[in-house]
Amino acid sequence: MGAISIRETYEGRHIVLVGGSGFVGKVCLAMILQRIPDVGRVYVLLRGHGRSAVERFEKIVNEGHVFAPMHEEYGAGFSDFLARRVEVVEGDVSKPDLGLDPEVATRLREKVELVINFAGLVDFNPDLRDALDTNVLGGVHVADFVESCRGARLVHVSTCYVAGQRDGFIPERIQPLTPSGDEMDPKTELATLHQLIADTEAENASPEVDTQLHRDVIKRLQARGVEPSDRRIRDMVSRLKRKRLREVMAQAGTDRAKELGFPNTYTYTKSLAEYLLRDRPGLRFTSFRPAIVESSVEFPFPGWNEGFNTTGPLVYLAKTWFRHIPAMPGNPLDVIPVDMVCKMLIIAGAALLRGENAQVYQCGSSDRNVMPIDRLTELSALGHRQWLREHGENALHKTVLARWDALAADPDHVLNLGNIRRVLNQFARYLKHGLPEKIPSELQESASRLAKETDNTTRRLRQIEDVLELFQPFTHDHYCVFECRAIMRHPVKEPEFRFEPESIEWRSYWLDVHMPGLRRWCFPTYENKERELYEPAIPVVLRSAEAEAHKEAG
Amino acid sequence: MSDKNTAAFFRAEGVLISRGVVHAATWMAAQRAGLRERAIRFGQAALAAPVFGLLGQNDRSLGSRVAHLAYRDMTEDRIHVLAEEYVDDMLEDKVLDSGVELLKKARAAGHRVVVLSEGISEIMERAVERYFRGVDHMVCNRLEYKGHKATGKLIDPVIGGYEGGRWVQAYAAEHDIDLARSVAYAGHGPDLLLLSAVGQPCVVNPDFTLRKAAREADWPVVDYSA
Repeated sequence: MGAISIRETYEGRHIVLVGGSGFVGKVCLAMILQRIPDVGRVYVLLRGHGRSAVERFEKIVNEGHVFAPMHEEYGAGFSDFLARRVEVVEGDVSKPDLGLDPEVATRLREKVELVINFAGLVDFNPDLRDALDTNVLGGVHVADFVESCRGARLVHVSTCYVAGQRDGFIPERIQPLTPSGDEMDPKTELATLHQLIADTEAENASPEVDTQLHRDVIKRLQARGVEPSDRRIRDMVSRLKRKRLREVMAQAGTDRAKELGFPNTYTYTKSLAEYLLRDRPGLRFTSFRPAIVESSVEFPFPGWNEGFNTTGPLVYLAKTWFRHIPAMPGNPLDVIPVDMVCKMLIIAGAALLRGENAQVYQCGSSDRNVMPIDRLTELSALGHRQWLREHGENALHKTVLARWDALAADPDHVLNLGNIRRVLNQFARYLKHGLPEKIPSELQESASRLAKETDNTTRRLRQIEDVLELFQPFTHDHYCVFECRAIMRHPVKEPEFRFEPESIEWRSYWLDVHMPGLRRWCFPTYENKERELYEPAIPVVLRSAEAEAHKEAG
Repeated sequence: MSDKNTAAFFRAEGVLISRGVVHAATWMAAQRAGLRERAIRFGQAALAAPVFGLLGQNDRSLGSRVAHLAYRDMTEDRIHVLAEEYVDDMLEDKVLDSGVELLKKARAAGHRVVVLSEGISEIMERAVERYFRGVDHMVCNRLEYKGHKATGKLIDPVIGGYEGGRWVQAYAAEHDIDLARSVAYAGHGPDLLLLSAVGQPCVVNPDFTLRKAAREADWPVVDYSA
């Protein structure tokens, strides 16, 4: 097999990007637009979220830094550039036929040759109903649509972590058994999931739950000294019921996932979608599994990142006084820069268009350029040291916190977060109730202030503890190396599309690219600060699809 | 006159910077992850000071080997990052301006400028880049790494012993350098062979052994502290 020319393969081919508003989707869209000038029309399927899909797309393009280089390159002509190449279509993967307008659906069925489905709920422990809608049924609906097209093929974006709680070398194939070793009939499992949701809803609506919630509400109102009126009780019970339903749904999903050997609902539902697609012989598809997607190396610019990603909280934690990151030294943490993911995805798409594709492509670094988690922890500590030396808030931060190295440690280490939180809790309790009564009022005030601060700290620690618990399967419990060889069957002609994880020099990537990227784009989110928005000199205004179609017809 | 090139050889320690490997190794040891590690490795590095005191005027390689044991099990990442910090924060005030002037003069005279150092490459390469512009070649010690961690050993030949003299002969042959018209600046006893190899030796801030040898050989001696 000779080298593939990406530009020639995509020339004139019409593509649908489903869920292109996420981190990977946006970078991929920008890369296709910038680096494949002769691609056919790119249809971006978006939900409106309270506005039209076109307006939402305009907001994404105008506020997202990922499109900044294109704004700068095309200036006033960027709207025209986009209008010529992109059509935004309103839809919803959780609905049959992707919730498309019938006329649009018919048009797409005729034209489209490649569908890339990025849609996914990446929350690890979401409400099971949401996970089912987006991760499972969304995948099925996209596959239905692709099968109904004249000649379309599907790149289904999944995750390497569908491997679940397995150890060792994870091959690039859809495993015949679940991680717990059971066979999975995906249709039966889907039915089980529907039943589980119905049972959970029924349980939440049961008179027992109602009575219990009533009692709780009355108790709460009495404790607050409020007269419990019927209407108030009804409102509160109904609110608590909805909240409880979300919680029990999340728990039900987690329990089922763990039963089958998955660490969370996300990986379980993504895996189920893969099984369902595998069992459709008429579907021409490939499953594309990125590992932990992080800051870009070079596209759209070095260090681009956004949102609440995987390594962000761990790196953020290494900056605090808490030192012991629960991680198993030597375990790989499979980090892969987002632009490398997009390059590989575009190659996989080209291979699929040419009919030369593999069933599964895993996109990670652990197989070809491993990064152990203890190295990541140390690099994070060193990166913070460099930064705090210059930007530390005070002398304590510059001299002590900068040298307060984070370490990869056992989750049961005596100084783990849980123990620290418990000690702080006891301290706060002592400050509130344990001090002698006859102490000066100034001292009492200081103690109550300190108790309040300690309470706030323990609350924050609790949140961090929850995040660490979610990540522990990946950072501590399992040693996974994800095979990443299938893509090597497709050498490409254009150097800017080559997928070469071996070229990542981890130290300079982590210290000079990734950490500055996290500091700028992600840490503000963790600190509840305003996200930095891009402000183009000339914002994009897309002409409507109808006007564009009219122009084309003319 | 020969058509060959000429070179100026500078020993970094004592000529260009006023701190040696013990200072670097103890500082690095004190920055290790974990308090226990810091204490143990700091003590280990400090042991090199009496070794240099006892043997340094004759052979400095043993002292260098002892000092660099402090790097054992330190990751390559940590050494690189700390080396940057050391050069930026700790060496800035230890650069000898008079040495820098000598280096500039050598450059202006058309010599190929070569710096020899007992320090490790992670520190010295950055130090040369930051403080000593115009250096054509740098020779320094190299740490041995296994599995991304330093073993605490230096890769042979260890700079600091009498190797300097032999090395300079080989270097001159390889780069077509006329040693008779070349200069060398150094200040330690083991640099005797290096200084003897060139036509214009200059002794800088020498120790007792080298001062005595310089007097006997009638070499110029320069003393400066800044």
